[in-house]
Amino acid sequence: MPELRRTDLRVVTCLASADALDRLVAPGHGARALRLAPDESAFVTAPETAPEVRREVADRVAALEDDAVVRDVGDGWAAWRLTGADARDALAWVSALPPPPPGAWIQGDVARVGAKVLGEDDGLTILVPAYWDDHLRTRLIADAGAIEVTP
Amino acid sequence: MSLLVPCPTCGERSYTEFTFGGELRPPDAPDPEAEFERVYLRGNVAGVQTERWFHALGCRRWTTVRRDTVANRIEGGV
Amino acid sequence: MSSFDLDGRRIPIEPGDTLAAAAFRSGVRTFTRSIKSHRRRGLYCLTGDCANCLVTVDGVPGERACVTPAHDGMRIRRETGWPSVERDVLSVTDHLHWAMPVGFYYKVFARPRWLWPLAERVIRRATGTGRLPVRGAPAGRARARSARCDVLVIGGGVAGLAAAATAAAARSRVIVVDEGEPGHALPPGGARTIAASLEAEARAAGAEMLTHHTAIGIYEGASVPLVGPDGLVEVEAGRVIVATGALEAHGVFPGNDLPGVWLSRGAVRLATEHGIAPCARAIVLDDGTGDGAAEALRGVGVDVIEVRGTIVSANGGRRLTGVTVDTPEGRRSFACDGLVLSLGLSPRDTLVRMAADDPVTVAGDAATPGCSIEDAVEDGRRAGRGEPVVAREPDPWPGLGSGGFVCPCEDVGVDELEAAWREGWTNSEIVKRYTTATMGPCQGALCSRHLAAFAAAKGAPSAAGGRTTARPPVRAPRLADLVGGVHEVIDRRTALHGRHVAAGARMDRSGVWLRPGTYGDVAAEIRAVRERVGIMDVSTLGRFEVRGPDARALLDEVLTLDVGRVAPGRTRYLLALDEAGYVMDDGLLAALEDGGYLLTTTSGGADRMETWLRDRVDRRGYRAHVLPRTGELGAINVAGPHARELLGALSDDDLSRDAIPYPGHATITVAGVPCRAVSVGFVGELSFELHHPRSRSGDLWDALLEAGRAWDVLPHGLDALDVLRLEKGHIFLGQDTLPDDHPGKLGLGWAVAMDKPAFVGRASLERMVALPLERRLVGLRFDGSPQRGAPLAVDGRIVGRVTSCTVSAALEEGIGLGWIRAVDGAFPPVLASGDLRATVGPTPFYDPEGVRLRA
Repeated sequence: MPELRRTDLRVVTCLASADALDRLVAPGHGARALRLAPDESAFVTAPETAPEVRREVADRVAALEDDAVVRDVGDGWAAWRLTGADARDALAWVSALPPPPPGAWIQGDVARVGAKVLGEDDGLTILVPAYWDDHLRTRLIADAGAIEVTP
Repeated sequence: MSLLVPCPTCGERSYTEFTFGGELRPPDAPDPEAEFERVYLRGNVAGVQTERWFHALGCRRWTTVRRDTVANRIEGGV
Repeated sequence: MSSFDLDGRRIPIEPGDTLAAAAFRSGVRTFTRSIKSHRRRGLYCLTGDCANCLVTVDGVPGERACVTPAHDGMRIRRETGWPSVERDVLSVTDHLHWAMPVGFYYKVFARPRWLWPLAERVIRRATGTGRLPVRGAPAGRARARSARCDVLVIGGGVAGLAAAATAAAARSRVIVVDEGEPGHALPPGGARTIAASLEAEARAAGAEMLTHHTAIGIYEGASVPLVGPDGLVEVEAGRVIVATGALEAHGVFPGNDLPGVWLSRGAVRLATEHGIAPCARAIVLDDGTGDGAAEALRGVGVDVIEVRGTIVSANGGRRLTGVTVDTPEGRRSFACDGLVLSLGLSPRDTLVRMAADDPVTVAGDAATPGCSIEDAVEDGRRAGRGEPVVAREPDPWPGLGSGGFVCPCEDVGVDELEAAWREGWTNSEIVKRYTTATMGPCQGALCSRHLAAFAAAKGAPSAAGGRTTARPPVRAPRLADLVGGVHEVIDRRTALHGRHVAAGARMDRSGVWLRPGTYGDVAAEIRAVRERVGIMDVSTLGRFEVRGPDARALLDEVLTLDVGRVAPGRTRYLLALDEAGYVMDDGLLAALEDGGYLLTTTSGGADRMETWLRDRVDRRGYRAHVLPRTGELGAINVAGPHARELLGALSDDDLSRDAIPYPGHATITVAGVPCRAVSVGFVGELSFELHHPRSRSGDLWDALLEAGRAWDVLPHGLDALDVLRLEKGHIFLGQDTLPDDHPGKLGLGWAVAMDKPAFVGRASLERMVALPLERRLVGLRFDGSPQRGAPLAVDGRIVGRVTSCTVSAALEEGIGLGWIRAVDGAFPPVLASGDLRATVGPTPFYDPEGVRLRA
């Protein structure tokens, strides 16, 4: 049975031209860079480092382009951590997406809503729009057989 | 169930991740006659059609593809 | 010794028993009653193809006894027949054939119409193959999972396992699915040994075996749903190999459904697999293929008589007692309690026939019925390598006798097909629909080729005399399995959901959101807003930020207002039209201080607005960024004469009309929460919509309720909002509008800047507004209590409909909105709505000058 844990993450989004995003040097602080679309990158980071990440991305993209938009949109996302030996297999009960290996990520249909799935060393992190927080949690427990762990 | 739509950002995905946007039509028309055709008439071809798909559950961007409406197969992106 | 319970009787189980084998050994001969005539039906195919042995297993109806392994403690019910399958008084219908012609329901119950509901109840009780769960019992929902593979092999026989072993050895991801264990359907002996070694080879090469899973269809893709013990498995396969084997031909002659009539493989399986004699004395109809049935039956002590010829009839009442056969030596009758039919083989091809253009290869018996083990292995190897497999034409189908059941599932006989044809249903698809042949639980496994042959013999053109369309499911899945694959209702919740529920709100499904309808007292909620202050969770509103050098051009194209005339700090009502000029959505546009824009849309219109904006960015190449903020921002509307005082208690910012003009907005801090306060007028009182970070919604809500005690603040839901906005004459898109409403019909022409050279829908709108208005939305005052949805009439002619209405406490009269049509070129000023008089009048009904919201 995979374990399910709510996790507190921030998402810094950067809207800019494809050309600028191609050249943008990703920030440090262990932020995961997700190229969501040609004109949008997101950086997933811990809450403590979010201000630093936002500042770094803003400074770097500003050097490339005038009208880029950089925001911490973390309030718009809910993040759940699925861990355990069978965490990756459990994804099949809620999604047709192949579970990404550690370090990789994929976006698409999870429990019939748009999600970002991040491969981790010990399982997966799944992000969905915050208004589907409860929906994702319910489906992971009911369909993927996850056991919720609350700290 | 599984018509696969190629998304330039996310790769091939089931059509269920997308919102269908219909036949590709020009955004403007040069004269009222053409404008009438643009807004109200559809080709409805039995064959290869160029059409719009919005990857709602993925990157949330539009893509244009060519689909064979008879075989219901995507021939490729545009 | 282990045992199961069959209708209260204890049935011992021996190792390897199926439910059918154990019950048969204990003397059970009747397994079901037929659907219409309530005839006894016994074991027939033993391969899971026919519907003769459907029983209820531990409360789950429609399980096939012949392929279900018996386990200790199971509870089996035979649910057909009343009061029981053995003593079925409804079998009297078997003698009423003259009264129940083909098309019986259509003919007999056409008139009088009131009879049908009564008759339906009786018929439903008398027919069917199981009981539905009682009303109110929770419905089951199985889980559904996805699986992917390069090659899906359906059928774990010799050909299927050979295919799997070969494909897996070539490094393809392979899944093998079988209804039982691999090789289970093969006769004991050499074939099973070969299957076992192929299975080992396939497993060693990495093929995944899904045993006790059943493929129920092949969909575009190829996508194949499997029903298994854990629920539904949705397999996306690069290609599919169908190795489902062959099925013995169903014989049609009078008495063909009597218990004691067997398909050869069924009788042999009972004898060789379970060591049970299917009968004492058997007539084995020998077609010359020499499948070894006689030998197998003699092995368990059956007295076998081998006969060549054509069956005239099977005789008997409760079960088979004799057979009449036209032999080369003339017509002869035999006394016997078993008749074993070998009439040829037919590919089990239902899955293949529904596959259409999908990448499917057929191998083994399913391609060439009756092929040798060696050929099956060779077929499988070829299929596994992705090479084509040559299929042989199936055996000619045995003709229909002078009577008997063509479709045993639905009790459709030869005479019914003939009658349907005489009545003019001269096409196999139509005969199917009229007689329901092929539409029973076996889905035409036994009869679909008979039906096609019947139509072809009648001279129907090949299209009309062909096989009827094959559709999923091939096997009956449980309803719970189907539900597992269904898109469940997905509700969006605001950050305040838990607080609403805790406060006792009735949560309503409003579009894609769950929202409070009311917290209990709608009238009190309305009074709070009108007299003091009320708050509402409006986090469901769609919000988008649009930025970049082309932001204004983008919005000018998508919206009808002149974006350049909205000064920073100001807001304007917005309309978005579709290409045809009809109203698509409405909301507010706020011009931000730094050149960006914040757009709000209706709660249900957000997704469509996003696709609309992004389409234009994509097509025009605008340098504009669209940032959706619906999920990120909570929003609370604070409305009422004391709204400013309430905010003042929680904020040090300037809240005057100079700082937050109407219509306009400003950033302020309320209870420590950063907010964009938008002055709005939807409910007609002084109102501030506070857009704030979603993670702070709870803090802000609690602070407003706490500080609001001084003014007896109340939260309100959609019910109160519906009245409040109606008193102001504001429309709800979708409720008050029709899909072909242009702004003029709604009295919203003022919101369209026709002096703008271009915007979406402009050309169509121009065309429409040049025509006389034939319908419009109007405000209505009633001399009583109006009814939503009620027709509006003039001189008894219906010319409109009430779309929203209420009895307004503030105005002390019935008010509403509704659309009306022009009568003789003019809109009638007075209409009848039932017994009420509806007078068309100006809106807003309440505070028409808007003094209150500008306070």
